[in-house]
Amino acid sequence: MNAIIFSVIGGVVMMFTGIITQQKKAIRNVAIIALIILLLANIFDTYGILSIHIGTHGMLNFQKFGLYFNTLAYAATLLFILISGADVTQIGEGKHAAEFFALIFFSLSGIAIITSYNSLLLLFLGIEIMSIPLYILTGGDKRNLKSNEASLKYFLMGSFSTGILLMGIALMYGAHGGFEISAMKPSAVSNEYGILDPLGLVLVFIAIAFKVSAAPFHFWTPDVYDGSPSVFTSFMATIIKAAGFIAFIRLFDNKYVELGLSWRIILPLVIIATLLVGNITAIFQQSVKRMMAYSSIAQAGFMLFAVFAENDMAKEGILIYTVAYSVATIGIFAVLEKMEDISLAGYNGLAKKHPLLAATNTIFLLSLTGIPLTAGFFAKYYMLLSVIKYGGSTVTWLVIVAVIFAAISAYYYFRVIQAMYFKTGNPEVRSYNKGFCFMLVILAAITILIGIFPTIILNWFYF
Amino acid sequence: MTGLYTLLQINQLNNTAENYFPIGVQIIFAIGFVATMIGLSALVGPKRKTSDKLENFSSGIASHGNARQPMAVKYFLIAILFVLFDVEVIFFYPYAVNFKFLGWAGFWEIVLFVVLFLIGFIYIIKKGALQWED
Amino acid sequence: MIPFLLILVPLIGGLISFLLKEDRAAKSWSLLIALITLAISLSGIYFFNNADALTLDWPWMPALGTSFNLHMDGMSSMLTLLTAIGLPVIFVAIYKNNYAKPGNFYAGMLLTQAGMMGVFVAADALVFYFFWELALIPAYFLASNWGGEKRVAATFKFFVYTFVGSLLMLIGIFYLYFQTPGNHSFSIDAFYHLHLKTSQQYFFFWLFFIAFAIKMPIFPFHTWQPDAYEQASTGVTMLLSALMVKMGVYATIRWLVPVFPQATNYFSMLIIILSVIGMLYTSLIAIRQDDVKRVIAYSSIAHIGLMCAAIFAQKQAGWNGVMVQMFNHGIVVLGLWIVADAIEQQIGTRKLSEMGGMAQKAPELALLFVIMALANVALPLTNSFIGEFLMFNGLFQYNIVIAIFALITIILTAVYTLNTVQKIFYGELVSTTNNAIDAGLNVRLILWVLVIVIFFFGIYPEPMIHLTNDTVNALLAK
Repeated sequence: MNAIIFSVIGGVVMMFTGIITQQKKAIRNVAIIALIILLLANIFDTYGILSIHIGTHGMLNFQKFGLYFNTLAYAATLLFILISGADVTQIGEGKHAAEFFALIFFSLSGIAIITSYNSLLLLFLGIEIMSIPLYILTGGDKRNLKSNEASLKYFLMGSFSTGILLMGIALMYGAHGGFEISAMKPSAVSNEYGILDPLGLVLVFIAIAFKVSAAPFHFWTPDVYDGSPSVFTSFMATIIKAAGFIAFIRLFDNKYVELGLSWRIILPLVIIATLLVGNITAIFQQSVKRMMAYSSIAQAGFMLFAVFAENDMAKEGILIYTVAYSVATIGIFAVLEKMEDISLAGYNGLAKKHPLLAATNTIFLLSLTGIPLTAGFFAKYYMLLSVIKYGGSTVTWLVIVAVIFAAISAYYYFRVIQAMYFKTGNPEVRSYNKGFCFMLVILAAITILIGIFPTIILNWFYF
Repeated sequence: MTGLYTLLQINQLNNTAENYFPIGVQIIFAIGFVATMIGLSALVGPKRKTSDKLENFSSGIASHGNARQPMAVKYFLIAILFVLFDVEVIFFYPYAVNFKFLGWAGFWEIVLFVVLFLIGFIYIIKKGALQWED
Repeated sequence: MIPFLLILVPLIGGLISFLLKEDRAAKSWSLLIALITLAISLSGIYFFNNADALTLDWPWMPALGTSFNLHMDGMSSMLTLLTAIGLPVIFVAIYKNNYAKPGNFYAGMLLTQAGMMGVFVAADALVFYFFWELALIPAYFLASNWGGEKRVAATFKFFVYTFVGSLLMLIGIFYLYFQTPGNHSFSIDAFYHLHLKTSQQYFFFWLFFIAFAIKMPIFPFHTWQPDAYEQASTGVTMLLSALMVKMGVYATIRWLVPVFPQATNYFSMLIIILSVIGMLYTSLIAIRQDDVKRVIAYSSIAHIGLMCAAIFAQKQAGWNGVMVQMFNHGIVVLGLWIVADAIEQQIGTRKLSEMGGMAQKAPELALLFVIMALANVALPLTNSFIGEFLMFNGLFQYNIVIAIFALITIILTAVYTLNTVQKIFYGELVSTTNNAIDAGLNVRLILWVLVIVIFFFGIYPEPMIHLTNDTVNALLAK
C-alpha cells in the first residue's frame, strides 16, 4: 500500500512544486527526493517495516513479487530521472516541468496497483491510471505537430483497448459473478456460461497485449514512440511496458488453465508475430529512435515468453529482463536525447568525438542484443531457460525461432555500433555535463554487473 | 475504502430477471409517451413553412456568419472543470444515503476525499485556470 | 589457479591497455602481458601440473547449477600454450606496424586472448558459452576497425554466422541442462554422464555441431572466412586463423563427441564427407587465388577440414594427430601470415600477379617462407608431417576410399603453396619488388623462432603427444 499512497502524494507534491517555484533544478531535485522516499517506502513495505495497511477486501493482494517489481520499476525511474531529468524539464518550452514529473508519479501509482491487483476492477483502474498520464506526456511537446499526432493516436487507440478490456472484464464477471481473480475457479463456471469466461479472458489478453505492444496490436507503437519526446519514449518503452507484463503474469498465473491447449497455440503465434514484426521492420529503419521503437516491440516478444512459460523461473526472468532492458534502453535514449540528428547517419563517427558516449552506448546495444557479460544475456537466458523448463523438447522449435530473431536483432543493433565506430562523420552533439557522463557510466556498470552476477537481483527477491 | 466497497455490493441481492420487469415497462412507457406526443403534435399542428421560420432563432435579429468559429480555450477549460467537480460531488449522494451505516470510518474517508478534492481546487486556482482575464 | 590467471592476466592487461594512448607504451605493455601469460602457461605445464593448480571451482550461481569451474587437462594445456605463444609472436611480428589508436588495438587482442583462454579451460557449459561469445566481441571490433576497405561488411558476416551458431548451441546447452538429473547442472561431468535417447542425440547434435562447424569452419559453413581473413588487418587475421579456429576444433572434441556418442557415430560419415569435399574444394579454389591472404585463408580451411575428418573418424592415431596438428597448424599458419604481412608492408600489394623475384632482394625472407611453405605441405622433418600422417592414418582405418580422396589435397596443397612461393620470390623482378629489401629484424627474429619450433616438433613430437595422450584416451573411452 505504501507505494500507491506515496506515489500519489509525490504526484501532488510535484504539482504544487510547480506553483511555488519555476526553477528547473529545484523541481528536478524535489522529484528525485520524492522518488527516493517512494522507493524507500516501498522497500520497507516489502519487508513488512512501516507498512501502511488499509483494508481493501481482497481487491488488492500485496505479494512479494509485485512489491519487488515496484522496487525495480521505481529504481529504474530514479535512474531515468537522474540521467534524463534535465531533459524532461526542457520539454514543451520548459513551462511544465513540475507537471511532467507529477504525471510520472501518477503513472507510477498506476504501476503499483497493477502489480498488486486481485480484482479485475483494480486491473482496469491501474491500467487507466498508468496510461492517462502517458497520453499527456506523449503530447508534452505542445508546439510539435508530431508530438500532438502521437498523443492523439495513443489516446484514441488506448481508449479503444480500454473498451475491449472492460468488455472482457464484464464477460468474466458474468461467468464468475465476481471480480476477484484468485476466486475464479474454472470448475465453478456452469456450462451455460462456459464460453463467457475464456472469451472474456481473450479480450483482456488483447487489451493488455495492446499495452505491451505485442503484435498484432502493436500498430500504435512506432508512431507514438517516434513522435513523443525522446525522454518520455524512454519512460514508456521501459518501465510502463514492463508493468504491463506484470499485469499479464498476475492474470495468467491464475487463469490460463481455462484456455488449456488453445492458449498454448495462441500465445506462440502472438510471440512469433511480435518477434517477426519488431525485428524485421527494425532492420529497415533509418532513424535510431524509430528503430528503438520497433526493437521495443521485438523485446516485448521475448518478454512474452515469461507469460508463456508461467513458472518461477519465468517470474525471476521477467524481473531480470525488466532491469536489463530498462537500464539499456534508458541509456540509449539518454544518448539519443543528446544527438542533434537521430538518424543512423547522425551517429557516424561518434566514437572519435565522444568516446564515452559511444562506448556506453555500445554496452547498452550489446545488452539488448544479448551478448554475455551484459545484463541482456541473462534476460534472454532466463526467458529461454524457463520456456525449455516448461515444455522440454516440444517447444524447441519456438526457442529456435526466438534465437534466430535474436540473431536478426544483432543486425540492427550493430548497425548503430558500426556507425559509431567504423564510419566517419561529424556528429553534432548537444552539450552535456560531467554528471551525465557519470550516470552513463553507472548505467553501463549496472549492465555489466548484472551480466556477471544476475543473482544479485534475485537474491534480494528472496531475501 | 471500506464504505465504498460495501456500496458496490449492496444491490447484489435478488438479482433476477423479474426484478427488472417494472423498469422495462417504465422504459417502454416513457419512449412510447414521448414518441406519441411528438408524433401527434407533428400530425395535428398547423404547418406554414416560410423562409423566416426555418432561420435559427436569434431574438428577432437576423443571424450572420458561421457558428463554427474557434472559441477561446477558456470555455473548454471551465466546462471540463465543471464536469470534473460535478461528478466528484455525485459521490456525496451515496455517502449521504448510507451515512449512519458507514459510521466514523466512512466519515474519515469522506473527509480524506474532500481534502483531496480541495487540493485539486487549490491547484487549479493557483494555476490560474479560473482567471477569466489574461 | 593457473587457468584463472591465464584468463585474468590478459583481461586486466587488456583493460589497462585501453588507457594507453601512446604507440610504444601500448606495444610494450601488451608484449609484456603476453609474455607473462606465456610464462604462466609454461609453468602450468612444467611446474604446477598437479590437479590443485589446474582446477578451480568457485560458486557462481548455485541455484542454477552453474559454477565458475575451470579445469585444464592435456589438451587444454596444449591449446592455452598455443594461445600464449601466439600472442607474443604476433605482437613481435607487427611491432613495426602502426595502427590508429594502438591502445585500443592491443586491448582488443588481449581481450580476445582472454576469451579464448576461457574457452579452452572452461569445465562448465555456461562458462564455456560465456567465453565463447566473449572471444567474439573484441575480435569483431578488431577486425571491423582495422583492415581493408570492405572490412565492416566482411566482419559483420563473420559475426552473424558465429552468433547464430552460438545461439543454437545455447539452446542445446539449455536442453542438456534439463536432462541432467536432480537439481540440474551445467558442469561438463554432468553432461558426460547423460543418457540421452538416440532421437534426442540426433537432433541436439546438430545444434552444437553447427556452432562449431561455423567456427572451424567446415564446408558449407565456411563462406565468411576468406572475406574476413582478407579484410582484417594481418595481426587480427593471425589471431583469427592461428588461434580462434582452434576453438571450434577444441569444442568438437570436448563438448560434442563425448556428449553425443551415438549421434557422432551416426553422422560421422556425412561429416567426414563434407570435410573432405571442403578440403578438395577449398584447395582447388586456393590454386586460382591471386591474393596471398586468400590463398592462406583457403589453405587454412583445407587443413581444418582434415582435422575435423580425423576427429569424426574416432581413431586413436587420428586423434593424436589432431592434437599435434592443432598446435603445429597454429605455428605454421602464424609463420605464413607473418611473411605475407611482411611482404605487404614492404611492397604495398598482396596480388601475386604483381610480384616476382623477391628472393634476390630479400633472401632471408625467401628462405624462411620456403620453410613455412614446406611445413604447410607437411613435408617430413617439419612439424606438420607427424600430425597429418597420424590423421591420415586414422582416416585410413575409418574408410580407405575417403582417405584416398583426402590424400589428393596434399598434392593440391603442394601445388598452390609452391606456386605462391614461386610467384613471390622467383622469376623476374617487377616494378613493385624492385626496391624490396629484407624484412625487419623483429620479423626475421620471430620467424626463426617459429622455424626452430617447426623443426623441433618435426623431429621430436613426443612431448606434444605425451601431453595430450591422456586426454585422447579419456575422451575416446567415452
